[in-house]
Amino acid sequence: MILKYIGRSFKRGCVQLVRRPMYFLLIVIMPILCCWFLMDLVKGGSVQRVPVGIVDLDNSSLSRQVSLTLNGLQQVNIRHRYANFAEARDAVQRGEVLGFFLIPEDVEEHALGGRQPVVSYYVNYAYYAPASMQYKGFKTMSLLANGAIVQTALRTVGLPNEAIASSLQPYQTHVHALNNPFTNYNFYLNSTFVPCFFSLFILLVTAFSLGLELKSGLSRQWLKTAGDSMFLALVGKLVPQTVLFTAVGWFIQWIMYRCYDFPLNCNPWNMLSAMFLLVVANQSFAVLMYCFVPNFRYGTMLCTLLGMVSFSFSGFSLPQESMYSWVTALGFVMPIKYYFLIMVDQALNGIDLYYSRFYYAALIGFTILPMLLSWHLKKECLNPVYVP
Amino acid sequence: MTEKVKHSRLFLWFIQVLRVCGRELLLVFRDEGVVIFFLLLNAVYPVLYSIIYNPEVVRDEKVVVVDDNRTQLSRDLIRRMDATQEVAIVGYAANMQEAQEAMHLKECYGILHVPRDFGQSIGRGQQAHVSLYCDMSVMMRYKAMFTALTSVTQAMGNEQLAYKVEPVVGMGGSIIESRQVAVGNPAMGIASAVLLFILPLVLQQSMILGIAMLHGGSIERRRRNGGRDPMAIEAGPAATIIGKMMCHQIVYVLPVIYVLYYVPLMFGFPQYGDFFQVICLAVPFIIAVSLMGQTLQAFVNERESVFLLFVFSSVVFVFLTGASWPRYLMSRLWRVVGDCVPGVWMSNGFVRMQADSALLSQVSHEYWMLWLQVPVFFILAYLVERFVNRRRYRSWIAASEDNPRILTRIDLAKNGVG
Repeated sequence: MILKYIGRSFKRGCVQLVRRPMYFLLIVIMPILCCWFLMDLVKGGSVQRVPVGIVDLDNSSLSRQVSLTLNGLQQVNIRHRYANFAEARDAVQRGEVLGFFLIPEDVEEHALGGRQPVVSYYVNYAYYAPASMQYKGFKTMSLLANGAIVQTALRTVGLPNEAIASSLQPYQTHVHALNNPFTNYNFYLNSTFVPCFFSLFILLVTAFSLGLELKSGLSRQWLKTAGDSMFLALVGKLVPQTVLFTAVGWFIQWIMYRCYDFPLNCNPWNMLSAMFLLVVANQSFAVLMYCFVPNFRYGTMLCTLLGMVSFSFSGFSLPQESMYSWVTALGFVMPIKYYFLIMVDQALNGIDLYYSRFYYAALIGFTILPMLLSWHLKKECLNPVYVP
Repeated sequence: MTEKVKHSRLFLWFIQVLRVCGRELLLVFRDEGVVIFFLLLNAVYPVLYSIIYNPEVVRDEKVVVVDDNRTQLSRDLIRRMDATQEVAIVGYAANMQEAQEAMHLKECYGILHVPRDFGQSIGRGQQAHVSLYCDMSVMMRYKAMFTALTSVTQAMGNEQLAYKVEPVVGMGGSIIESRQVAVGNPAMGIASAVLLFILPLVLQQSMILGIAMLHGGSIERRRRNGGRDPMAIEAGPAATIIGKMMCHQIVYVLPVIYVLYYVPLMFGFPQYGDFFQVICLAVPFIIAVSLMGQTLQAFVNERESVFLLFVFSSVVFVFLTGASWPRYLMSRLWRVVGDCVPGVWMSNGFVRMQADSALLSQVSHEYWMLWLQVPVFFILAYLVERFVNRRRYRSWIAASEDNPRILTRIDLAKNGVG
């Protein structure tokens, strides 16, 4: 008997899926396209050759040396030379360059005279990622300029080269970017943003397909097909989507870890299972929202709002410990947060599965939660009201 | 008014435009869903995003120390690291294994390792080494720890240099002082940088969603009424488009002022531009977005499919503006795609005006590109209205004259019945 109901509601779910081309578009085409978009956009890996300007008011051999060296750095690219500060500022405002290096008058003379001249670099922090790179480049440059003068001075008094090196830079720092040694922006950005994007699609599609039942007034028939069991009705409706979404999710993971060589330092099954759990957890999350607000408009809006904001409050860009604590707490409401933590532990850092046990458990928990509240959705399904 | 003027075609056309505009206003305010998009979304979203990013910078990132040296110098280094804004030393670990365990348990996100010969190397006049291991899950953490260590070791290095060099050559440690001036975003925070890009996009997306939902509502009415929309005003395609566009302009006066002026004011984001000039930039933007929305509405078949079709595009547009990955590094394809979106021009113009206090004349390229989009999107919207929408309505009317229930039956079939 129960098998008959499962079969019937499953068939209904499949028919609905096939009859609207939009589902295919939103489940298969768009997630893959968006994945490709993000991957292709930042395929360069790191921000380099930031367009900058230089204002050389000194025009000495030293200042020329500085601008030559500056252009040789990987981080910046001198696009223009400006005659004065006002011109350079105008260029920044016009967006021609994102910052400039200012060498004031008589730098060489003051430097050799020991009167500590000041060079300044103006960095446009309105463009965040290039600004950090410029800072790195300009900072290196000013250190090099400093070093060159000190080196000359020390050599003239007869210090050996070795002693000069240790005097110029007494402390050498080794910064180890664990498991992403080249600080590849693609690895960082897309191992989080692509799954987050994907879960937005899952939320939207699930919310939409549930809402349609209420809108069309067919929800009673939907329940009847499943023998008046809300659980079976949901399973029949959502499992065909789960299958498609999981397949697409795994395909996206294959692109990330095999085509683009994202760090994968764990057993691949850990990530594959996490992706499956992410799909189911997001579907359940959308169902849960409908259990709270069984209304097409508000249910979908809630999913949309949370899905969109989860890009921010899950702590991909501003880390969670820097946010307001209630925002951090809000982040733990969404399944993607747990996937992110699993990804960091497993794929990126490759630590023992033991440390991620709670995150997997949380994803499973999301799946169980709507079962406890589905009576509310069932009540609404028996008396559907559509508010346009 | 003379009879001649009253009956001139232009005058009648203009009356039609006004009637379309009036009807559209009525439809907007009668439809709760559209009001939510046009007004509530603009009121809530920018504030929500701003609150999330409002802490701006990373402070006191947790770092554990493995100090194998235990000298006065190593303690000095650690004390200075702890004193930086970016890093907080949360504890000492006996060895690297212990520190790693702390990292795995998320008790810290970085490990500072001071090797055994750290103090001795300095004493011998050799280079001393210090290692920092960073968790790379979030770039801003890495950046914070990296900056802190660099600035601390540089300051200590300069002191060393001064101490050693001064007696020899009679000059201080730093021959040339260098100074960073953060323009545009003096807080150097992420909120001030990213939010200015996002704000115009919120306006764009909310408007497109609302327009598409209005159109979806109209389509649904047509489906119920045999291909005719009882709420629509009979007018030519151009009059319909312009009338609707006027309505959107009127509705968006308040959201534009609120989102572009009051939200940055509330959160203290850079606001160096002249607001009147910002509004001048926003005028072609809002017109272009309205026309773009009326072009894209062709994809909508029912009210709620707007969620599926347009919501995710917001993320794509945010990336196209260059808020995260700079535009000059994008491939030609994505730059061209970005060029087609009014929000991309508006965001970049808005950022330069508000952050870098650029004048309208200095963002003239963006300004004229927005004006260029107006006729382009008008032509597209006209083609859509005339050759997609109206053709479809005519075929529906013809079909339902043969069989009055055909349109509802198609709808049912899509929901899995029959």
